[in-house]
Amino acid sequence: MRIERHTLLKLLQTILKELGEDLGKNTLLHTDEKTPLFGSRSELDSMNLVNFITEIEERLSDDYDITITLANASAMSRTRSPFLRVGSCIDYIIELIEQQNNE
Amino acid sequence: MSDLAFITGTRKGIGRAIAEHLLSQGWIVAGCSRRNSDLKHENYHHFSFDVSDESAVIETLKTVKKTLQPIKVLINNAGIASMNHLLLTPLKSYEAIFKTNVQGTFLILRETAKQMSRSGGGRIINFTSIAKPLNLEGEAIYAASKAAVESLTKTAAKELAKMNITVNAIGPTPIETDLIKLIPKEKIESLIQQQSIQRLGTYEDILNAVDFFIKPQSDFITGQILYLGGVN
Repeated sequence: MRIERHTLLKLLQTILKELGEDLGKNTLLHTDEKTPLFGSRSELDSMNLVNFITEIEERLSDDYDITITLANASAMSRTRSPFLRVGSCIDYIIELIEQQNNE
Repeated sequence: MSDLAFITGTRKGIGRAIAEHLLSQGWIVAGCSRRNSDLKHENYHHFSFDVSDESAVIETLKTVKKTLQPIKVLINNAGIASMNHLLLTPLKSYEAIFKTNVQGTFLILRETAKQMSRSGGGRIINFTSIAKPLNLEGEAIYAASKAAVESLTKTAAKELAKMNITVNAIGPTPIETDLIKLIPKEKIESLIQQQSIQRLGTYEDILNAVDFFIKPQSDFITGQILYLGGVN
């Protein structure tokens, strides 16, 4: 399993754009690696974040044949959440894919 | 095109009866059990795996979605029971019961709900038992596992409502399945005495409850535990 960083960025941007259109939040239409995903500066509430994470898992599975579970124990126990920003989320996805490739 | 129902524990008993019932109504059914099934039907697809194995659950449900279609109805039926006095219950029994009944129900529910959230919603039916509300002696761990399933059902109903997914549970009375064949007759008799309607249940009683929860008009019903036989 392999996926380029820029492909992941595009995937996350597409999902955020669709969420932004659904929620009427224009700031989600144009995002980059620094866009916050949660916390006071994020446009996403907790339920939006759940949908966002689920969408990533499902699209990776459907479109790239990559099966990973983003919300696993290792993600939840980190002092710095991988879901803080788009960039950290991409780092985390790449890390999970590499872990799986090494198993 | 027909919708797809995923049913756990279809090799025999209640799961098998539900699979045959939905197939007869024109559903496509994907079923699973730890072992192979001899259920043959052009619209039946069997998967052999353990519902408590996370990677097997993810892989199988992904295959169902890719090779068949997204799941519209989930019947989370797979379960195991073990009767024993609490003081004589081995830790291994506790672990096995919770692994299948709670962990299995949770994993299948989680992965199916992810599919349903993307495909416009769906219906989830979990299985509890009257052993829980009746606090049946000899079934402490089994009843505790079903209490967990009921709690999971009610919370999942709240969390998944926005995704147009309903989550309910059916609590059957004893019926003639493998789960009760080792229980002494007097025990079953005294259990039935505690029901408002005092008879053994039938598969038809359960199929009727399944039909009720999955019919289109039941989209306003979620988080409910439906015990049969007048138990509450």
